[in-house]
Amino acid sequence: MTYTINTPEGTRDRLFAECRDRRSTQTALTDLFYRRGYAEVSTPEVEFYDLFLRSGSPLPQESMLKIIDRSGKIMVMRPDCTAPIARVAATKLKTLPLPQRLYYAETVFRSGDQHRGGSSEIAQCGVELIGAAGKKADLEIVAMAVDALRSCGLARFHIELGHAGFFRSLADRMDLEEDQVEELRSLIEGKNFAALGDFLEPYQDRPATAALLRLSRLFGGAEVLDEAEALAGENEAIAYLRELYEALCGAGYGKYLRFDLGLVHQIDYYTGVVFRGYVEGAGDAVLSGGRYDSLVASFGRSAPATGFAVDVDAVAACRPGTEAPRVGTLIHFAESELDRALTAVDGRAAGTCELSPCETLEETLALARRKGAGRVLVLDPDGERTVEV
Amino acid sequence: MSQDLRIALTKGRLQDKSVELFEAMGLDCSPIKDPGRRLIHKVPNYPLEAVLAKAPDVITYVEHGVCDLGIVGKDTILEHGKSFYEVLDLGFGKCRFALAVKKGSDFYGTYKTRRVASKYPNVTRAFFEKKGMDVDIIKIEGSVELAPILDLADGIVDIVETGVTLRENGLVPIEDVAQVSARLIVNTASMKLHKAQIEDFIGRCEAELAKRREQA
Repeated sequence: MTYTINTPEGTRDRLFAECRDRRSTQTALTDLFYRRGYAEVSTPEVEFYDLFLRSGSPLPQESMLKIIDRSGKIMVMRPDCTAPIARVAATKLKTLPLPQRLYYAETVFRSGDQHRGGSSEIAQCGVELIGAAGKKADLEIVAMAVDALRSCGLARFHIELGHAGFFRSLADRMDLEEDQVEELRSLIEGKNFAALGDFLEPYQDRPATAALLRLSRLFGGAEVLDEAEALAGENEAIAYLRELYEALCGAGYGKYLRFDLGLVHQIDYYTGVVFRGYVEGAGDAVLSGGRYDSLVASFGRSAPATGFAVDVDAVAACRPGTEAPRVGTLIHFAESELDRALTAVDGRAAGTCELSPCETLEETLALARRKGAGRVLVLDPDGERTVEV
Repeated sequence: MSQDLRIALTKGRLQDKSVELFEAMGLDCSPIKDPGRRLIHKVPNYPLEAVLAKAPDVITYVEHGVCDLGIVGKDTILEHGKSFYEVLDLGFGKCRFALAVKKGSDFYGTYKTRRVASKYPNVTRAFFEKKGMDVDIIKIEGSVELAPILDLADGIVDIVETGVTLRENGLVPIEDVAQVSARLIVNTASMKLHKAQIEDFIGRCEAELAKRREQA
């Protein structure tokens, strides 16, 4: 085996339509972000491993691609963009007034498991709203999550809202050890209905048991908020979600919104509203985000923040693919006629016409046949003519 | 909107038990029982179609969302599982996952690094990592019992159904790693996008499982 003509597992060459679909999806997203006042930032592809350790990154270390630099320090190919941007916000942007609205279109790297068909290079577009707490900031970001998928031309999708505080408030009332809380959390995250029942069996008398038992099933429309309140009593997180929902409904976003109160992933990282986007045709969430008020502080500047990232390739795969243009015309031109030849190419639809590099018309005609082009435009000093192939 | 749900069933024993469960739920499973050359089997009286697959493939299909649901053993989930919802314990296909050693040997009573053979290297690693113990793990594809007999390994981590095979080969189970049974798993996106359909299916499963528990 030599490693000269294959790409490493998890990577691939992207050709033609794949590039165009990725680019047009990126453009749809970044146009929206830019229009809403977000400014682009770009951080290094390689960062110190410590950065992601410091940020309390929920990614396990084995999923980061590592490099040892010349001095022996451990670097990683960035596995996400939020931690580096939090670093930037806490350092380089220290003198700028908050809030700062930032967006990025980058590749993140994660080493997936072998033979699972996953990609190690993930194109992400995302936004971070740094230095803004409260409902209006959350409304802005959730509305933009909906608009992000809408701007990509998707119709059948949901943005699903949860709140990190709901699980936490229930867990606090249970008086459990920390590792038990983690087990409970992971059962709810995995919607492990049966095992959750077994786990809670010995705690029947605790105040939040009934609500926790139902938690993994509390997903769907706004009715789950009523059910959650019926089970858990008055709850700040639920009341807050309801306020958000009503405001978003008022702005016409209601039909895209769902809830999953069992959305309890990365509970130490997220501090408030969390959300995910699901699209018909994608096997996993294509958009993921939430409020993370303590991340920026871990780099030395206290600033509440919220944001989300879109998996560009997953979204691109759900959009109707664009038809690749076919070359219909070759231009056979005399060297003195370069300007006319270029004008002719520029005047036609992109990708439908190209210059022939051949010396003789016979060679150009042969090339046209190989390429399946129907016409050759011949440009001489005396004039022009079209030859049908 | 009401596209059929697609379920991946683990071939073999779990398939028969799954069909038994479906029939008790009132689903007509004749196409699954008499598959012919078809690979996708449509249930005539319920919006469901089934594919048959090897256990790890069930997980792959569900993770990638080409199947909405799957029925697969907990052993496979522990070994290969990643991101899906594991909603129900179906109660059949029960067996133990155990650490077994040669009769009379003292597995833990030494500072020497132990060597363990298994078809389930990830489960084995997680089990010993939890104990803070370093072991050498050897992946064996076939009869794992052979490894200790040939002195390749000090113990094995494997599925124990009756324990007869172990006994006949001079091995004794000394510790349970996990309890295994068949699970119903659901793709995360399907769960959200086809909530009503999937909840209906889960509800029917649960009703039948409750009936079984009552009879037992």
